[in-house]
Amino acid sequence: MPSGLSEPQFAALVDALAARPDEREQLTDLLREDHPLYDQRGAATTVRMRGWILLALARVGVSDTALLFVLDELDAGADPYLVAAAARALRSYPSPTAAFAPFVMRAIANIRYRDEPVCLDSYGEYAVASTGTSPVRELFVTLAWLGPHARGALREIEALREQRGRLSSKLLGDLDLALEAVRGAERVDALDTETCCKLPGGLRSMFSWTLGSRRSSEPIEATVFEDHDGAPITFKEFFRGHPSIVVFFYTRCDNPLKCSLTITKLARIHTLLEARGLYDRIQTAAITYDPAFDLPERLRGYGQARGVRLDACHRMLRATEGIAALGRHFRLGVNFIESLVNRHRIEVYILDAEGRIAGSFERIHWDEQQVVDRAVEVLVEKNEEKSEVAPHPPSVRSTVPPMFGTLASLGVAFFPKCPVCWAAYLSVFGIAGLEQIPYAPWLQPVLVAVMLISLTTVWLRARSTGRTGGLYLVGAGALAILASKTAPGWENAAVWGVALTLAGSLLSAVDAENGRPIFLRLRRITTRA
Amino acid sequence: MIVELQINNSVSPEARFVSWAPSPCRIRVTNPSGPTSPIVNVRITGRSVTGGGAVRFRRNATGPFTNSLTVPVPVSGASVPFFAAGRFGRPSVNNGDVTIEARSGGTLVGSVQVMVRVRKNANTLTPAERDRLVAAFAQLNNQGAGRFTDFRDMHTSVSSPQAHGAPGFLPWHRAYLLDLERELQAIDPSVSLPYWRFDRPAPNIFTPEFFGVSDLLGTVQFSAANPLQFWRTDGVQGINRRPFFNTGTAPPGLRTEAQTLALGNQYPAFRTLEGNPHGSAHTSFGGSISSIHTAARDPLFFLLHCNVDRLWAKWQRQFGRFNPAQVASYDSGPGNPIGHNLPDTMWPWNGITGGSRPPTAPGGAMAASPCAGAPGPQPQVRDSLDYQGSVSAVSRMGFDYDDVPFA
Amino acid sequence: MTKKRKRTKSSKSARKGASAVTRSARGALSVATNARKTVKQRVAAMAEAPTAVYADDASLQAMLGVLRNRDEPVKVRLAALQALQASSFSVVAFESCRGDYIAALRAVAQDPDPELRQRALGLLAREKDGFAQKKLLEGLRDPSKALVPPEKALQLLSYDVHAEAYPLARAIVSKPPNATAKREALRLLGADAASAPLFEKILRDKDEPPEIRQISAAALQALKPQKLQALAREIVLDTSEQDDIQATSLTALTQFGGDKMGADDEALLKRVDRLSGTASTKVKQSARRFLTKYGR
Repeated sequence: MPSGLSEPQFAALVDALAARPDEREQLTDLLREDHPLYDQRGAATTVRMRGWILLALARVGVSDTALLFVLDELDAGADPYLVAAAARALRSYPSPTAAFAPFVMRAIANIRYRDEPVCLDSYGEYAVASTGTSPVRELFVTLAWLGPHARGALREIEALREQRGRLSSKLLGDLDLALEAVRGAERVDALDTETCCKLPGGLRSMFSWTLGSRRSSEPIEATVFEDHDGAPITFKEFFRGHPSIVVFFYTRCDNPLKCSLTITKLARIHTLLEARGLYDRIQTAAITYDPAFDLPERLRGYGQARGVRLDACHRMLRATEGIAALGRHFRLGVNFIESLVNRHRIEVYILDAEGRIAGSFERIHWDEQQVVDRAVEVLVEKNEEKSEVAPHPPSVRSTVPPMFGTLASLGVAFFPKCPVCWAAYLSVFGIAGLEQIPYAPWLQPVLVAVMLISLTTVWLRARSTGRTGGLYLVGAGALAILASKTAPGWENAAVWGVALTLAGSLLSAVDAENGRPIFLRLRRITTRA
Repeated sequence: MIVELQINNSVSPEARFVSWAPSPCRIRVTNPSGPTSPIVNVRITGRSVTGGGAVRFRRNATGPFTNSLTVPVPVSGASVPFFAAGRFGRPSVNNGDVTIEARSGGTLVGSVQVMVRVRKNANTLTPAERDRLVAAFAQLNNQGAGRFTDFRDMHTSVSSPQAHGAPGFLPWHRAYLLDLERELQAIDPSVSLPYWRFDRPAPNIFTPEFFGVSDLLGTVQFSAANPLQFWRTDGVQGINRRPFFNTGTAPPGLRTEAQTLALGNQYPAFRTLEGNPHGSAHTSFGGSISSIHTAARDPLFFLLHCNVDRLWAKWQRQFGRFNPAQVASYDSGPGNPIGHNLPDTMWPWNGITGGSRPPTAPGGAMAASPCAGAPGPQPQVRDSLDYQGSVSAVSRMGFDYDDVPFA
Repeated sequence: MTKKRKRTKSSKSARKGASAVTRSARGALSVATNARKTVKQRVAAMAEAPTAVYADDASLQAMLGVLRNRDEPVKVRLAALQALQASSFSVVAFESCRGDYIAALRAVAQDPDPELRQRALGLLAREKDGFAQKKLLEGLRDPSKALVPPEKALQLLSYDVHAEAYPLARAIVSKPPNATAKREALRLLGADAASAPLFEKILRDKDEPPEIRQISAAALQALKPQKLQALAREIVLDTSEQDDIQATSLTALTQFGGDKMGADDEALLKRVDRLSGTASTKVKQSARRFLTKYGR
């Protein structure tokens, strides 16, 4: 993709991509902040370019992968044009869901005092008349599109309506339409089961563990930083030996929902770490995107103004050498005009004790508690290594065992364990011809082995998540099955054993973080990788 | 015999600042050698250098002030309270230009140098006062890397609903100015925030040695000896300020002080000063000070708002509007947004972010002062009203205006 | 009278007072937008009108109508702009007006009257408005499209460090259309870390005007503080240096030098001591402050 395009050429390119169904996914790729197309573009140019892509997506439909960028803009966007484009784009998603409502409401809160007329019809044009649309108007129209799915935000919307004299009469009309749609006649009970947390496509949590083996940090170990006191330190010197939480920012960021909030949250992370007695065991670092300008005194002032604690384990850093390699290693979502950032995403990384990226949070709404919890998981794995308990490779332990454990548990649950079970299955599957398979006693050791595997994997899962309900159920199920085989009068316990094992397996397999099955998370990680 | 004098109930030199409102003081005997009786009468007076500040005293929290006070002090070392205040119309010019002396018989047994520190008209500051102020401001800014950035970040279009267009406009800005002033005083305790009296000519403010002279373009020029030449905000150096009037005169179209005070004796009417003269003063210029998002980039902003606050203080004194419980003192109508109701804590000092508050809260809690306990680290709107401690002595905030007396 | 009744009475009276002020503002707005009144009357009325602007849509449109109308006297239009601007400080109350206001500013940014153009562009530039930045940059690239002089465009672009003005600013530094444009270009580049060598070069060049060298000193102090401190020392010790630059250097050393910096530097202290007695006023002033800080 040529990076030296003029703006009209860029607009034509976007239009061309939008016109070809097989190339539309490239549009989403163009939204990456680090895309070469944005190199050496000013911030306002970048806004125009990104807005045009969002508007193209609005015409052709927003996919799950593009949805992330749309929601990101609603969540933390400060530019009226981009917020308007994002609001319009959201309406082209195949179906509305209640999970979108908080994003729309947040965007309204962010942009309402910066509302202005925008031109969404032609590239690079600015509205000089107040007819037409605006970000708040587009957001109200999107609320109307959400309709009853936005019922969770009804009170907020009504409060907006009740504020006298704050919205123009034009916008009040749009708001009334939105209210009517939200209050709509559709049955509420079906919608009541939706929570605000169920985003499509695995977007509920922007956290992802690193799959496969973690990339060595060797390429950047020699990166030289200067900290908030002007003390030099290399990547290796600071990041090796302890897990770390790393955020990126710069002091000249003019979006308070990005860098300023990121560093404010970092201060809250310090408080959380202190409360858990982990302040000296998990490090933090805030690395500036703008090392040429963000000299130590600026770094220190910026951090302290936001309540950040600064000491040997918790530093604000600027890279004085090896900056480019650092950006490549982290695959930072940032671009520049000369040395100045023109656009960046919110990004937080968890590094393990080897300085390798173990996980990352991107874009939307990262929560300090979540970040600390993830960092603690990495700390735990570090401690396991130290105590010579052979750890599973993090990627395997984190994602595969639950799946395997589920399958094993399901296998235990459903595998016929005795002639009676065989007969039961035969009666169910008679038509399929399974009655031809004889009962075979040699299957019993196999069953026992599968049962043990199931118990072990569910136990490991319980350890990593801290949730033991599934383990107890599977354990009880195993005992019941054993009792049915060994204790006279307990033959019927096998049925209970099957039921308990199945229930425990399913419970263990559900990702309690977001209430969704683990296999959906795998799908998102696979997509990202 | 030696006595110790505590000003603002402290022996710390940082606490030796008084204003028109009475400061709580204490006296106690630290070396009882000499007297034979258990109680000694000590006479407390003030001694001023020529042109310096003057103080007066009273024994109790209420009652008349006198130029001298005789206090019976036990030789046991138990402290005895009294009150000291600046004599209205006689503010200090330099730190320590008035001495509080304690005498037993005719013998000096204790003394402490204090300053009667009040907010003055910026147009009539002495060169020394002016130089101290700009040096403190420049240090607070520290070419863009200093704590001034927090004050700049407190006043943006994102945070504006916390402070404008609703009744909390005056209380919020009072707290804002106080926070800044205390930070300046942490650098140089002799400094107080002066006001730009915008309804009168103020040619001495717009000089190269002080807040600069604007060229035709609106770029402010400073003397080579003025540290404000290093002023930097948002990463950009310098100040853009283009007066739409001759700075040897007052800006036209602004309500005069008399007209402002005549807006009404009830707060809802009075607070319309937000439009004129406040908004009109801002828009008498082009440049940073004329837009809400950039206004705090220009240090003149703080002098402008100091005058707005002074007008409020004067109105309060004129109509006795210090008590938040008094309806006329505030506008507690229904539908006030958050941060504008009397019991509300004020952002950013309350540290509350998100929801109806801005996403971050720069600067942390309200700066403390060794001279006054109020308003505390997280002030409420109501705390801004009784700044002199007229209703409750503990509400005193430690600042006063040179032309607004106490009682 | 019971307390509650007193409170209600006071509250009603308070509302009455506020309503009176609002009525007065509305009256002023009515005069301000009345083409049959004199310019003087209308301009005076505009000053009283800010709180009426956001009272209702009709009031806002009336004021915007005056601003946009090229047939209205420029003084009245400027006064309308000022009233709208004053009113915009009440961000919450102004919420319903902002969209129309911004649209009007963009229209007026292309007005035939240069003062109106400049003010509108200034207001927009302070909002980091993309429209304004685009127009200003276009004007710098192609003077035939310039809405304001280049020095003004640079000054307005400096409100947003993210405006892509650095290449244009550098071009203007090397080939300035006038001295003020060069100065503003340098001020803008003061946010560019890569320009530190340029500022050092200018500061060392005694042939450059003092104003330019002062800007360079301030820029260098922010971008490379240690470099500036070292250079400032050299300048103070240089007996052939200009007064203004010496004063600026002394100020930089006093304000931003470390606490112990000057105290151990005998050569510097001796030189400053001499300057405190014999040099021009501003140098003497700066010298004395330096000596006060370092305990002499």
